[in-house]
Amino acid sequence: MKILKDHGDTVGILAVWILLVLLFGVLSDHFLSANTLTTLAGRIPALTVIAAGMTLVLIVGGIDLSVGSVLGLSSAVLGLLMVDWKVPLVISAPIAIVVGMLAGTVNGLFTVGLRIPSFLVTLGMLEICRGAAYLVTRSQTKYIGASVEPLASMLPGTTFPISFFLSVGVVVGLQVLLEKTILGRHIVAIGTNEHAVRLAGIDPRPAKILVFLVCGTCAGVGSLFHCARLGSADPNAGSGMELAAIAAVVIGGTSLLGGRGSVIKTFIGVLIVATLEAGLAQIGASEPLKRVVTGAVIIAAVSVDVFRRRCIGENV
Amino acid sequence: MRTILFAMRVLAFCLIASGCAPKEVDHNAPVTGKTPCIALIMKSLANEFFSTMAEGARKHHNDNKKTYDLVVNGMKNETDFSEQVTLIEQMVARSVQSIVIAPADSKAIIPALKRARDAGVLVINIDNRLDPNVLIEVGLTIPFVGPDNWEGAKKAGEAVARMLTKGDSVAIVEGIPTAMNSQERCRGLRDAMNDAGMNIVSSQSGQWEMEKANSIAAAMLSEYPSLKAILCANDSMALGVVAAVAASGRSADVKVTGFDNTSAVGEMIVNGRIVATVDQHGDQLAVHGIEIALSVLAGNSTPKDTTTAVDLVMRKDAR
Repeated sequence: MKILKDHGDTVGILAVWILLVLLFGVLSDHFLSANTLTTLAGRIPALTVIAAGMTLVLIVGGIDLSVGSVLGLSSAVLGLLMVDWKVPLVISAPIAIVVGMLAGTVNGLFTVGLRIPSFLVTLGMLEICRGAAYLVTRSQTKYIGASVEPLASMLPGTTFPISFFLSVGVVVGLQVLLEKTILGRHIVAIGTNEHAVRLAGIDPRPAKILVFLVCGTCAGVGSLFHCARLGSADPNAGSGMELAAIAAVVIGGTSLLGGRGSVIKTFIGVLIVATLEAGLAQIGASEPLKRVVTGAVIIAAVSVDVFRRRCIGENV
Repeated sequence: MRTILFAMRVLAFCLIASGCAPKEVDHNAPVTGKTPCIALIMKSLANEFFSTMAEGARKHHNDNKKTYDLVVNGMKNETDFSEQVTLIEQMVARSVQSIVIAPADSKAIIPALKRARDAGVLVINIDNRLDPNVLIEVGLTIPFVGPDNWEGAKKAGEAVARMLTKGDSVAIVEGIPTAMNSQERCRGLRDAMNDAGMNIVSSQSGQWEMEKANSIAAAMLSEYPSLKAILCANDSMALGVVAAVAASGRSADVKVTGFDNTSAVGEMIVNGRIVATVDQHGDQLAVHGIEIALSVLAGNSTPKDTTTAVDLVMRKDAR
């Protein structure tokens, strides 16, 4: 019982994921294969880093709707630099990340400085970044080609791409930040009760701004993985990704009200979302069915989590 | 605050009014005595196909500034046709002489177009054909100018079929299922495949998007190890599919086709990663529509439907 209480959350959603994998294994002839695992590892890095950043924002009690568009803008900038201006990846990649960081910082400054709900600020940023992405690329997809693909190539000796390991690195890094540092404690405390934090003599503003900055940076990093996988920069990249990220984070048990969450569990949430998408495509499900099933799984996964918490007497 | 709002309203009104305000009498102008104003209403300008179309129209207008005025409008979201209805109403309120429209929905737009016609606005349909049955039902005849998507897709399908052997497994990546042009293209691809005796093992929607198409293709490649070709309803999706094929290490075995001939696939055609795409000359499409509108406004009779050219694009040595 103690194990269940300490790690029950993780075990619970991990079980949901394994169940999904087994289910598709039965339904499809070729799902349970090393190949599927490799494809899965190849497609999740962008969503993983974005969902990781989003986890922190949700824990602090905010929301960031702009991540998909920020990814689009960072991709657009990367495409412009590499295709039109022939700038090598080592220089354009940091610039693309900085674009994301700037967008995140603006989100944070407006949310915290003017005390505008982050929902509104990031909704505005969603529009701004998407528009800017179209402007930068003149609405054209930029084909970058081999120069960006090294990030998506396999790590020597493994069957997983480099981007996958980097994204897992981000997940672990942010989890450590959350659990083992004072800043992490502050983030959780702010999400639980910001007023109390202020009364304790801690200024919550720097931490909050930093969280949005990190989230924007994650979107910038995600754009690199996204472009590397597709070999192209697409101004439409990442549209709707904010919702997939929020779904993954919430499936991972992070509270939309703030104060509770884990980046590692978000990662399992990402696995669930991605496995579902891959599995449904592999069994050749129709588009309407895909949507219905995806929605149902999101609700089911969250319900299981809430139910388990109630069983062990947690107040949900 | 109220003053600012008022100022903004005045400004907005001026901006709207200025575009089509009566100009000085031009001697070359048609009988109306003023330069006709044509409104071009498209789907999303974020889509390269439509931004190219808009550019072509603007260029044509620049060369013919004295003959007509042009207002170009696009919508934000491809699937939100209500936005297009609003645009149509705005253009009618602005009393343009003609609306040249690429409908976002083949049926739902028709009532708004009927109101436009009742208000005396000439309507020309380009790109995506309005549903003929609904047009008959409301008693409208609207000339259509556009490519034959079925024919274009069939050409691309036939080109790929020549590279395969009978009975090979192929898959199709569709656009948004409700869009007429996606349906037509997929019908063309299916017809070509069935005629050549290929085995279509899967057909799924990539929602016109690169990323979606990439995921779907990856799944198809895992599920069907003997897959020989993936045919896509547009180029954006073809790019995503090419990346998935490359990631699976089967570039040599799996052929990919696209549709639209966008700038990004040029290189892909050259290096053979995409074997064929279809050029429907988007930049000329709106221009054709505008020219027909001008001709009718000048007093000529309304033409029948016009099909514009669709050309297969392949590497020279692969033809």
